[in-house]
Amino acid sequence: MWPPDLLKRNNTMKKYMGNKLAIFLFVLPALAIFLIFDFFPIIQVFAYSFTDWNGLTTPNFLGLKNYIDLFNDRVFYTSNRNQLIFAIVITVYQMLFATIFAITISDKKMKGRKFLRVAYFIPVILSVTVVCQLWSAILSGQGLLNKLFEAFGSDYTQNWLGDRYKAIYVIAFVNAWQWMGYQFALIVAGIKSIPADYYEAAKIDGCSNVKAHMKITIPLLAETYKFCLIISLTGGIKAFTEMNILTGGGPNKSTFTLTYMMYNAAFKKSDYGYGLASASIMVIECMLVMLVINFIFREKNQLKEEEKSKKRRLSYGN
Amino acid sequence: MKKKILSSLLCATVAATTIIGCGQSAQETSESTTNATAEVSATEATSEEAKTEETTSSDSGEKVTLSIYTQYADDDTKVPYDYAVEQLKEAFPNVELNLIVQAQDDGQTLKTLAATGQLPDIYQASTDIINTFRESNQIMVLNDVAQSTGFLDKLYEANKDLAYAEDGNIYAFPFSGQEYVLWYYNKALFEENGLEIPQTYDDLKNCIEVFKSKGITPLALFGQEGWNTAAAYDVVATRYTEGGIKALDEGTASITDEAYASAAKTLEELVAAGLFQDSATTTNYDQASEMFLSGNAAMFINGQWYIEDATSALGENVDWMFYPAADEASYEAGKSVFSGGGSASGFAVNPDSENAELAAEVAEFITEKYCEAKVMYRHNPLVALDTGKEPDSEYPAMMKKLSDTLPTITATTKFTWGLTNSTFNDGIQSESQGLVSGQFTAEEFIADMTDIME
Repeated sequence: MWPPDLLKRNNTMKKYMGNKLAIFLFVLPALAIFLIFDFFPIIQVFAYSFTDWNGLTTPNFLGLKNYIDLFNDRVFYTSNRNQLIFAIVITVYQMLFATIFAITISDKKMKGRKFLRVAYFIPVILSVTVVCQLWSAILSGQGLLNKLFEAFGSDYTQNWLGDRYKAIYVIAFVNAWQWMGYQFALIVAGIKSIPADYYEAAKIDGCSNVKAHMKITIPLLAETYKFCLIISLTGGIKAFTEMNILTGGGPNKSTFTLTYMMYNAAFKKSDYGYGLASASIMVIECMLVMLVINFIFREKNQLKEEEKSKKRRLSYGN
Repeated sequence: MKKKILSSLLCATVAATTIIGCGQSAQETSESTTNATAEVSATEATSEEAKTEETTSSDSGEKVTLSIYTQYADDDTKVPYDYAVEQLKEAFPNVELNLIVQAQDDGQTLKTLAATGQLPDIYQASTDIINTFRESNQIMVLNDVAQSTGFLDKLYEANKDLAYAEDGNIYAFPFSGQEYVLWYYNKALFEENGLEIPQTYDDLKNCIEVFKSKGITPLALFGQEGWNTAAAYDVVATRYTEGGIKALDEGTASITDEAYASAAKTLEELVAAGLFQDSATTTNYDQASEMFLSGNAAMFINGQWYIEDATSALGENVDWMFYPAADEASYEAGKSVFSGGGSASGFAVNPDSENAELAAEVAEFITEKYCEAKVMYRHNPLVALDTGKEPDSEYPAMMKKLSDTLPTITATTKFTWGLTNSTFNDGIQSESQGLVSGQFTAEEFIADMTDIME
């Protein structure tokens, strides 16, 4: 037997969902903006990627030539490798530290939590250019970091931004440092929404703080983590600004990403068609990542939903 | 009840201030938008007026504002522009220029303006821009204007080719003449360390060793800029073959030719010996120049336009040398071959401008005035036109030396902005950067360049 308030709510919803005009009117503004500013340009990107368009003249159809050239380009593989490294570094760094910091400042006994909460978030509100200039001054050949090593008598001075293999990790770190605060804010908000009763119950059962967070906080933040994972991984795939400012994509394109390839082809070589081919691959990669994440999290959600509805039916049936 | 009244009042106040705020913000936004687009809209508005008045505006004294997109960053670009504007007031009293400062963005802004139909009336165009806009008919053919204004007659014989594009038309009025990559050195540092000017690569390696042992960077390179690393490769390549990167760009030579392979190998060895600073590829112009001018670096590679700044900072302690070569015979033979050269770039005109004809005349006038200012105030005789002007003070010693050398120069190559093959241009800039970083071998350089050119 369904409770009366639930039945009433269901009827209202059915009535509303039956009014197709209302649905259309409510959806229209968002749909129009999405179609004009997102969907249509993406379609254009795919269409122009099969041409020799230089950004100004009438494009000529080239078939798959741009894609064949792209797959034969060594920079394409370097770019993909860099994106993967970038995505992994920022995801691990941001989610790990954001979780640790969020859990730490959620403890009401912790001193200086208000200050720390603001401090962790400050880099997020800074301009990317400012952050990159700051880190550039620290990491350059004669920068602060190398000077520190020298001051302590260490010969571990490095060409942090000019090393063809290490530079991508350093750039990823700069990005992770800046945006960790964003994920931190999301996780703090998630933790606040967890009822304190759960922790009290766990404490009564003799559960330690660490165990309580492992068994309560982290599982209940699954949706938040899903969102964090999506923004980290897609952020890694479309990375551009940091390498543009810190290394200019160098040395010899060793810190390129697909976005950088697109920029380089379009604006330096006036080869928009080739640039848009790399942009198309990037869009596909982003979509694949999102599909995989949704698939992984969907399995668990569906199971949970099924269990919940089974329990609900049983309890109302009784 | 009191609470309700209080909360109602509060809500009303917040709503009222929000509306006022929005109104102001909208007004401000409107104003700022107007300001932001002033450069373009001013042109459009003036163009509309000009359209009504037809071309008689010029004669009737009606003000015409022409937008101009050009460099205005340092003395070398500010002095000529300011001088040209002053002179324009007398020659074209009804014309005003609306300056849009050129961004150092590989033509990205200009291409975007072209794509959106907002090209300025006059713009500074590089070879790449000329070739791109030529295809889309967004650059005016200036053959007639060049003839009627006497521009062609004023061009130095050596610069005649610079005016013409590949198809034989004139699309831009060049103001720079033949320019050269110079290998500057700090005379005082060389003397203090008992070093002679290096003539061979063995001499150079000896200098590197001595300077490094004293904690001095042998040569400060601003490798963040691809043209500087390409120039570093070119000064070595021209010691093996006079075509340098120009021949590669034109397709008359191959990167696999022995001369280019030897040049890559030589540069690789020099880098390994420590010719450049460790962070050369992440060093920008300001940083590298500061290293050289402050005596922390003994040598520097830049164009001849740097003579004025280097002389101001180092006085008699600075000079340029002929590029070192593999042996003394090559060194002597190479004295007549320089990296650098001229390019078909200069002031171009938007053919869709409402005042296109007037803009073309103004562009020609400005070009002439740029050349005059460069000669008179920048002490740079390497301009495209014979202006008949004299410098306001003596030429610096380095410029005199270059002037004396000019008649003996038999071949030049190109700066990267003068290259016509954009794929090669992009490739040589990035691959030479890899080579000077010391992390890519000469073999990798040759293999990658071969792939790029295929």
